[in-house]
Amino acid sequence: MANEFAKMRHLRMGLIASVMVVIVTGLSVAGAATSPAFAVPSGRSWEALLGGMSLAVPLASPLLLAVLASRQVDIEHQGNGWLLSQTSGVTPGGLCRIKLLAVGIVVAVVTILESVLVLVAGLLLGVPDRVPAGLWAGYTASVLVANLVVLALHVLLSARIDNQLVGLGIGVLGTIVAVFATALPPAMAHLTPWGYYALVAAAGYQGTQLVALTPAYGSIAALGAVAAVLFVIVTGRFDRREA
Amino acid sequence: MGAVRAEFLKLKRSLSWTVVVLLPVAMVIAGAVNTLVSGSRPEDGWHTMWLRSVVFHGLFPLAIGIGILASLVWRVEHRGGNWNALMSGPTSALRIMASKAVVVAVLAAAMQAVLLLTVVVIGVVVFAIPGLPPGRYVGVSLLIMLACVPVAVLQSGLSMLMRSFAGPIAVAFLGAGAAVVLLLAGLDAAVFVIPYALISRATQLGTGTFGDTGAITGGDVASIVIGALVLTAALTTATTQILDRRDTRT
Repeated sequence: MANEFAKMRHLRMGLIASVMVVIVTGLSVAGAATSPAFAVPSGRSWEALLGGMSLAVPLASPLLLAVLASRQVDIEHQGNGWLLSQTSGVTPGGLCRIKLLAVGIVVAVVTILESVLVLVAGLLLGVPDRVPAGLWAGYTASVLVANLVVLALHVLLSARIDNQLVGLGIGVLGTIVAVFATALPPAMAHLTPWGYYALVAAAGYQGTQLVALTPAYGSIAALGAVAAVLFVIVTGRFDRREA
Repeated sequence: MGAVRAEFLKLKRSLSWTVVVLLPVAMVIAGAVNTLVSGSRPEDGWHTMWLRSVVFHGLFPLAIGIGILASLVWRVEHRGGNWNALMSGPTSALRIMASKAVVVAVLAAAMQAVLLLTVVVIGVVVFAIPGLPPGRYVGVSLLIMLACVPVAVLQSGLSMLMRSFAGPIAVAFLGAGAAVVLLLAGLDAAVFVIPYALISRATQLGTGTFGDTGAITGGDVASIVIGALVLTAALTTATTQILDRRDTRT
């Protein structure tokens, strides 16, 4: 575990993670602050900020999660770290689980930081209503689950397929799915992990009115459970392959 | 020419065609599915189709696509002992950089051609838009292909410097984002400084979206062409200088 964090230093994982925070926070606040309703202090609402986040998160997260996973896993292909770890007692599947845990901690910090920074921006801009704390926390937790599931998928892809083109390419396609999923019927959004970014949106337009929405907690919990089981099974199978 | 042919040979088994074909096709299909599901039809005919595919594609997927292609072209050189072979070979730094950039630019141009073709096919087959798209789309596509050249040089340079596959792609994503913000703020001069702004500007040409006025003027076209040429020359010189100062590594 400490090993994985040591590897991150030279991979500039901190830089990429900070970039993720800056993009999401910047886009969310900029999106809300440039809307005409925000020009007058009394028109400022938490829905606008939550809506901004619900757009910025699916736009920026899928690709940057793919980059984080790819960098952390690709070094093992380059120096055949799989074999090295195996001879020192850590199986390939075990290494993948450790990597998910280590990068997952970084992603958790990133997700929470994004959410807190947007909240602080709202307070500084003087949004008059009370903070919808429950919705805010629920949305942050839901996004965290979606982020971790996408990250787990990319750790597996990068580990299984040597050519990192595949993982990154899927990351790009995932971004497209995530961005367009808001317009899809919910049944279709359930089909891919990226669709869940749209399902957990905390605010969105109904007609021309921006309203607070309830994230689909049931769906995201089911996704998390299914993904966790699959991740354990798949990494278990990795252990039986020749290094 | 030998160096360019060698580069294409190296790409043979690299799956680069998947980027060239899948990325533009996925973009157009995503836009089309979106339109179909919302139950509407492209109100403005070809203009709507163009907006939902080419303009969106130019915001960031195009830059990422070029970044992936450049990473693929350089990936082989960073593996095994290939870097030292490259350093000790007789091919000059300029020829290496130029041939790599040419390969990426040609693939990016092919991507644009696939995009245009898919827009036409989906427009005719799925939405039955009357008539063929206006001829200016072909002209704009050629301009986009030209605008991709400096981005190809820059990404190729980044992928030469960074051994990681994903690093340069993250830079492309950021650069494209910064370019969109600059163009939204009305700083059109960015096309002479940031290559990513050049592709965003070229894809938005004549659509009236973002910083665009809706009309294609001689000045717009000239600024894209001049920006592409100046940036290509400057970036090729810079990346060649950097590669020239690199050495073998142990």
